[in-house]
Amino acid sequence: MDITYIGEWTWAASLGRLFLAVAFAAGLMSTIGYVFAVHQPTQRWMKMGRWAFRIHAASIFGASVLLYLLIFCHRYEFQYIWKHLNDAMPLGFMVSSFWGGQEGGFLIWMSWMLILALLFLRRDPGRLEAPVMAIHGGVLTGLSSMLLGLYFGDFQFGLDPFLLLREAPQNAGLPWTFNGNYLNLIPQFADGQGLNPLLQNYWMVIHPPTLFLGFASTLMPFAMAVAGLWLGDHKTWMRKAITWAFFGVAILGAGILMGGAWAYEALSFGGFWAWDPVENSSLVPWLVLVAGAHLLLINQNKPGTAVTATYLMVGLSFLLVVYSTFLTKSGILGDTSVHSFVDSGILPQLLAFLLGNCILFSVLFLPAGQERNAFALIQLLLAVGIALGQPAICILLMLVLMTGAILRGHLKHLPKPDKESPLWTREFWMFVGGMLMFASAVHITFQTSLPVLNHFLAPFSGLFDQLFQSTGWPLARKLAAHDLAPGTDFDATYHAVQVPLAFLFISITAFAQFLRYRIDSEKGLFIKLLRSLITAAVMTSVFLLAYDFASWEAPRVALLFACLWSASANADYVFQVLKGQWNFAGASLSHIGFALVIFGAVLSTAKKDIISANRFGDLAMLNESLSNEEDLLLLQGDTIAMGPYYVCYRERRQDGIHAKFAVDYFRTVPEAYTKGEVVARDGFLFQCITDHTASPDFTSDLESNWTFLPMPNERQQREAKAWSAGKPGPFAFTLDPRIQLNEQMGNAPEPDTKRYWNRDLYTHIKWGRVSDPDADEEGWMDGRKHDMMRRDSLVIGKSILALDSISAVTRPQKPGYGLLDKDIAVAAHFRLSGNGPDTTFTALYIVRDSLLIPDMVTLQERGVKLRIDGFRPAEATFETVIWENLSIRRDFIVMQAIVFPQINLLWLGCLIMTAGALMAVRERKRMELRRKSKAA
Amino acid sequence: MSRANIVVLLLVAVLMGALLSVFTTNSESVVFARAFAEPGVEFKVSGTLDPDYPVIYDPEVAVAKTRFHMRDKNGEVQEVILQKAKPTGLEQSESIDLYGTVIDGQFIAGEMLMKCPSKYNEQSHSLADATNAP
Repeated sequence: MDITYIGEWTWAASLGRLFLAVAFAAGLMSTIGYVFAVHQPTQRWMKMGRWAFRIHAASIFGASVLLYLLIFCHRYEFQYIWKHLNDAMPLGFMVSSFWGGQEGGFLIWMSWMLILALLFLRRDPGRLEAPVMAIHGGVLTGLSSMLLGLYFGDFQFGLDPFLLLREAPQNAGLPWTFNGNYLNLIPQFADGQGLNPLLQNYWMVIHPPTLFLGFASTLMPFAMAVAGLWLGDHKTWMRKAITWAFFGVAILGAGILMGGAWAYEALSFGGFWAWDPVENSSLVPWLVLVAGAHLLLINQNKPGTAVTATYLMVGLSFLLVVYSTFLTKSGILGDTSVHSFVDSGILPQLLAFLLGNCILFSVLFLPAGQERNAFALIQLLLAVGIALGQPAICILLMLVLMTGAILRGHLKHLPKPDKESPLWTREFWMFVGGMLMFASAVHITFQTSLPVLNHFLAPFSGLFDQLFQSTGWPLARKLAAHDLAPGTDFDATYHAVQVPLAFLFISITAFAQFLRYRIDSEKGLFIKLLRSLITAAVMTSVFLLAYDFASWEAPRVALLFACLWSASANADYVFQVLKGQWNFAGASLSHIGFALVIFGAVLSTAKKDIISANRFGDLAMLNESLSNEEDLLLLQGDTIAMGPYYVCYRERRQDGIHAKFAVDYFRTVPEAYTKGEVVARDGFLFQCITDHTASPDFTSDLESNWTFLPMPNERQQREAKAWSAGKPGPFAFTLDPRIQLNEQMGNAPEPDTKRYWNRDLYTHIKWGRVSDPDADEEGWMDGRKHDMMRRDSLVIGKSILALDSISAVTRPQKPGYGLLDKDIAVAAHFRLSGNGPDTTFTALYIVRDSLLIPDMVTLQERGVKLRIDGFRPAEATFETVIWENLSIRRDFIVMQAIVFPQINLLWLGCLIMTAGALMAVRERKRMELRRKSKAA
Repeated sequence: MSRANIVVLLLVAVLMGALLSVFTTNSESVVFARAFAEPGVEFKVSGTLDPDYPVIYDPEVAVAKTRFHMRDKNGEVQEVILQKAKPTGLEQSESIDLYGTVIDGQFIAGEMLMKCPSKYNEQSHSLADATNAP
């Protein structure tokens, strides 16, 4: 039965799939052609590789353009478009809906790889072309396979970006899919789901493409490293890879920090970095790439130094990108992340791709010939083992074998330096710095990979359990449970290791530039560094004075000092050594930038001040649990002190998809007291004896201005205000922390931040109502139960309800209340004060024939209703239910406010670092061109 | 042995120490029974929100106190106190990790992680209930 679907772009689905199928096939052809071209001098294979690669590239670009066409034409019959786009989205978000899902993510990643590869081909790559492009072919073919969307039985092979909704498995066989006119008949097709509102942020337009470009840029150095191993030429590629590697450093670094900026601006987890697996898995490749790029620099100046380490760093930076793709797209991370991941059904494919790349990289460390063949064969057998259901043990064996292969290559045939470098040379300290960065990366990866490690521990669970039974070793029990998760205390899990490591490698960036390659340059080093050391010491002391540091924070302070030293030493280097030749200052600039990034990150995190925390000593004494609260309850209209401000929650209003809570900030001015005023402090009353302006703290204010009131009268007791040094002064600004109304994912809070040059005031809603609470048609909200004793009081709306006294209803009083003689009744005399004249009223607890007669008291004009449901004579306590009317209700929010000091240094550092790295790349390009023209 | 090798070996040693410390600093993942058997020790307990009981959060009484019932992996249900404002999406969560301690017979959590239905995509995109408009 053939159905003609009216209005559906069936041709686009076919064309898109054709593009992807051709891309896959051509990628495969290109790989084969280039692989054979490596060792065969005939041009035939090379030609085949080149042509197939061009076809592959054209197909991927074609598929991307087609996907954009579908987006701009709002073709909602396509699942991908329907999921990520709707009519309401403006142009910017339409552009970004391309990478709203994994399919588009793969496409843009591949497109960047292709653009970089085409750039590489344009500049006459010589002997490297065949192996480098063979790797590109292999990787791109692997990635295209993720977009094939084929099914073999239940086994899914790739995700098809051009899938029509009626073909989606979850819709298979539904009646409407057989209706040729379904697009016009079913209203759901008129509009799409739209990009998740959480992602509708301008960073979504720029962050993912930058990050994907950064990821893509790790492929070229990787491919060159593999080419080096393949050809047995360990020199040429290292020279050529430097620019590519530093380009990657610049772009990936910028991409990661953009992610931090996005999180800081739009997500309410209270900062820019949360050591989240997603963040970590882009940081780790960057750290390793930085290490690799610096090792390449060493090799340019002293070939044959740390060759194995260079291969490893450059190779791992790409493999870690693939690993992080695997982690974040396979669903294996489970619930360790604030980002949430869904197993998209291509886990086996992703795993095969990851392991394939690892095997390819490690096999080449072995000497060509039998050893490589045997290694490949064993790995293949282990891969079969994985498929047969023993994944943990087989992958573990694979990793052991890979490590063995790399070690063998290192010991056997990779070149060693002719003679060791002296201690005080640039290459030695660059090597140490690189290794330290690698150590930092290993530590982060380990923490992030604990869920993966649990899978590896699972088969040994019984073993560890036995070990625990026999030795009582608690660690064995933990391992047996194979449910390890990173701790929640970042100081213990990350900072304890990362801070000392960062201190070491940042210190190295301070002095390494003053050293020379190959020549012992210890002499005079200290003198050259003296200026920057003094500058750093002075600046550190200034910061020590400005911010309170405890002694346990010594490692932190050391790191801050290292950052300041690195920044000033590198600046000094530009003037002292480079004599201000900015063309060559790229490296120094990016070191300065990096130091500033770390400085800003460490200081703003360590010295963040949660000013919404309740810090009043007397309140903490009343109730200890209050003292650790970091959030502030703000009643609408109340003006209360918060840090250096007075704040007032003014109103809630709906603005598009946001409920905005306007909070006004006022400066604090000193309170003025006049003679005779009575204030309360720590439960005692004091009377003012002179007109004065309050001192900042009570003890000094007390001295000459107040006298203790030992026997206050009732009026004084009632009217005494709490002593306060300040009062709200002039209006300063308004912040609108908001809650995004997100039907799809649940409402999500978004912060609002006041920025100063040296600090940020960052506020977000912890709890708030996005609409008025439920009420009946007369406006009465649900009643609330309160137990009340004599003299108890409650805040109701803008008034205070107090239980003044209790009395038994005597026989003569009963008729007055309309009671029968046999009734037993207790009267509760209430007073409602504030917001209008005091009102007193009486509510009764009535028992007639051992039945409770409800007595409802309604004060319509004050918006309060009250009923007594019970009386406990022993405690003289009434059980009351109180209703509030919407007319008197006061809204409230729970807000957190944090001051992040010096956070702008972080963003400034990011700009400087990226600019510096790009400058260095440009200068190197220029030098290459000059060398070439000289040679010609 | 070259200086570079010494550097590498030193780092390997330091890292091994740091990584091993992961096993000691992490809170152990257990079920309620174990946490209640060892009061005063911090544990991680994973489970799901029990929807049969209400989530109680009354900021006017306590800003940072949320009470709810959680079912652990053995199916045991306990009332727990989270010392934080009610996290957004708690009711929608698919699973919960609580980091806390038993004090006076009450599990009190200082930290909580939730897994919510993906933020990125994929609810049921089925159009099973799509009907033809009249």
